[in-house]
Amino acid sequence: MPDNAIFAYVAYVAAAVVYGAYVVSLVVRRRRVQERLDRQARPGAAPQR
Amino acid sequence: MDASPRAPSRPGFDWFLTASVVAVVAVFVRAIFFMPVEARQGAAQKIFYIHVPSAFIGLYVAFGIVAIAGALYLWLRDDRLDRIAASAAEVGVIYMTVVLITGPLWGKPVWGTWWTWDARLTLTLFIWFVFVGYLILRGAVEDPGTRARYSAVLGVLGALLVPFIHLSVYLFRTLHPMPIILKPGQPSLPSNMLATFLMAVVALTMLFFALLRARYRLAVAMDAIGDNDASDATPVSTLRPEPVR
Repeated sequence: MPDNAIFAYVAYVAAAVVYGAYVVSLVVRRRRVQERLDRQARPGAAPQR
Repeated sequence: MDASPRAPSRPGFDWFLTASVVAVVAVFVRAIFFMPVEARQGAAQKIFYIHVPSAFIGLYVAFGIVAIAGALYLWLRDDRLDRIAASAAEVGVIYMTVVLITGPLWGKPVWGTWWTWDARLTLTLFIWFVFVGYLILRGAVEDPGTRARYSAVLGVLGALLVPFIHLSVYLFRTLHPMPIILKPGQPSLPSNMLATFLMAVVALTMLFFALLRARYRLAVAMDAIGDNDASDATPVSTLRPEPVR
């Protein structure tokens, strides 16, 4: 039986990093957008663009 | 049809996304630590449990949604369909990135090479480029109607590669293994491996729809502030200097 477990471990870690990084990116982008929405909602606030 | 977004709800704790992540982690742990090592391929065979479900969901589910939502957008002109297509494309690219990383990690120990330019692998790389291009296109076109129309056409055309990718192992000589699940007749897997594979399909499908929902909500919020796209990129037109008067 070939000893190639390192390839499986690297594949699982890589998949976890890609999926995890995307989840984090969604959370971070959503918070940034919410901050901009909150700034726009303040009375007298100038529009962002 | 102008489907203006309602005021987006504030981001809160996403139970569906959390449950999906827990399910994926549980399947990963089961696959790595509790599944038997295949006699001929060794432990590298376990890459199958992430590579195949990610490819299945990325190609058939994600890019299928892009094509259907895009085609419906061209017919109905409903902005919600454009948001669904854009969200599915972004999540699909993430899934196909995992496919393109894990495939060579399986190929090196089993085939003896990281990559070969056969039809299945090359077409998979092409469809990844097409949908990365789709995302770049969305960031480059500022007018929402034009952006939605162009990207709907590209999404429909890009998804036409999916049946060719599925049939490529039958149509061309290839190193890539023949299907062992999506084929006529019984799946050729032992029952415990098949059960783990199906768990991985369920967990990664849950994660896909959780990510799709989160990305769609982000798109609604971005539309509410009138931003071009959900990336943080500054539109090129805003970087142009003001003309000197």
